[in-house]
Amino acid sequence: MVEAVAVGSMRRVVDGPAAEWLSTVVRLALAVVWAWAGLAKISDPAVAAQAVRAYRILPEGLVKPVGYGLPFLELALALLLLVGLGVRIVAVISVVLLLTFIAGISSAWARGISIDCGCFGGGGAVAKSQTQYGQEILRDCGFLLLALWLVYRPRSKASVDAWLAL
Amino acid sequence: MSEKNRDGKRSARERMQDERAAQQAKAARRKKLLVIGTVLVVIGAGVGIGIAVQNNRSAPSTPTAAPAGAIGDKKLIIPDGPANAPSTLTVYEDPRCPACGGFEHQFSATIDQLQDQGKLYGNYHIVSFIDRHDSGHGSKNGANALACAQDAGYFRAYHDVLYKNQPDETVDTWKDKSQLIALAKQVPGLDTPAFENCVNSQHFKSWVSAVEQDFDKTGYTSTPTVLLNGKSIYPKNGNDEISPDNLVKWVDEANQGKPLGTTGSASASPAPTSTAAGAVPPN
Repeated sequence: MVEAVAVGSMRRVVDGPAAEWLSTVVRLALAVVWAWAGLAKISDPAVAAQAVRAYRILPEGLVKPVGYGLPFLELALALLLLVGLGVRIVAVISVVLLLTFIAGISSAWARGISIDCGCFGGGGAVAKSQTQYGQEILRDCGFLLLALWLVYRPRSKASVDAWLAL
Repeated sequence: MSEKNRDGKRSARERMQDERAAQQAKAARRKKLLVIGTVLVVIGAGVGIGIAVQNNRSAPSTPTAAPAGAIGDKKLIIPDGPANAPSTLTVYEDPRCPACGGFEHQFSATIDQLQDQGKLYGNYHIVSFIDRHDSGHGSKNGANALACAQDAGYFRAYHDVLYKNQPDETVDTWKDKSQLIALAKQVPGLDTPAFENCVNSQHFKSWVSAVEQDFDKTGYTSTPTVLLNGKSIYPKNGNDEISPDNLVKWVDEANQGKPLGTTGSASASPAPTSTAAGAVPPN
């Protein structure tokens, strides 16, 4: 009996209007994350390029395009999430991007390179004692959960998607 | 109403419903594709425009103006001492970097001496990445002031004064350019209107940025990075820790059998004397 009620309320959370409100909150939260990450990287292109270079993964020819382009990708995702257009595809792209970041940080960690992830501006080499790989990965995993929720439940209130009756 | 007629009516209604459902599904699919297309266009255009804008905004890696006497193919290196000395000491330093201050405190007298003896040619890369980590302007302002001092012919003297008066890394004293100008008063002959203007207007701003970009690409990740004839000797040369005595020994070993460089007027600007640093100027 209790179980049935629990399952029933779970259903309502996942399927009902409550879920759409939850998705709205998640959508806006992820929009804030991407906007914050993007804006923090825009002010100094040289710093953004160096943050990418410091991972020592990409060849020099790709360092600038990625360093310069990434903040705008993040801002585009933020904008689309904010208005709620194409939430599921944006969420899928977010998942891919976050997995890439987590892989990049893990790789730097595994290779013993001492860098700041440059996730929210800054980046580049730091002293060994100042690396925060564990925290950075955990944080990105949190964002990953938000994005995965939106892949699962992209319908949300106050979105262009809802207005288009998608 | 006959059986047959009723059947016919129903199938017609069903057919219409099926058709409508199919049309709705088709419209929904088209709408979905349109949304995905719009999303990809927004992202693609945003990133494309962004890269172009940032490319435009980023400082060029070749400076528009370099201080007089700077060397290298882009004139990013400040030389000190005789160019024809048999050994070259390459130093990457950030004006705000405390480890650089420690290095200068321990070695500047020895390095100056080796240069003045014609044994060593100093090559200084004045980088400015600490402003990124600690935020601020002290590294960039300091690097620009050093370029101004080089332009005026007083690099060594001003360089030594700066490191003797270096603030804590987290205190951005040199964001205030007048502090850099005040320190120039300790170098007789340096503090002129031209120098003050050069510091205040950040005359060598593009040079400072180009030097930093060059450092970014070297793969060296900290300062001071010190190379003797291209080989890293700081904090250790192989298994031996660097010390003033060891530095002299290593330079002498590298110079064995080679003629010394030209000393005298070709050498660098004089180091500040104790009287210049402390005494009241004659009036």
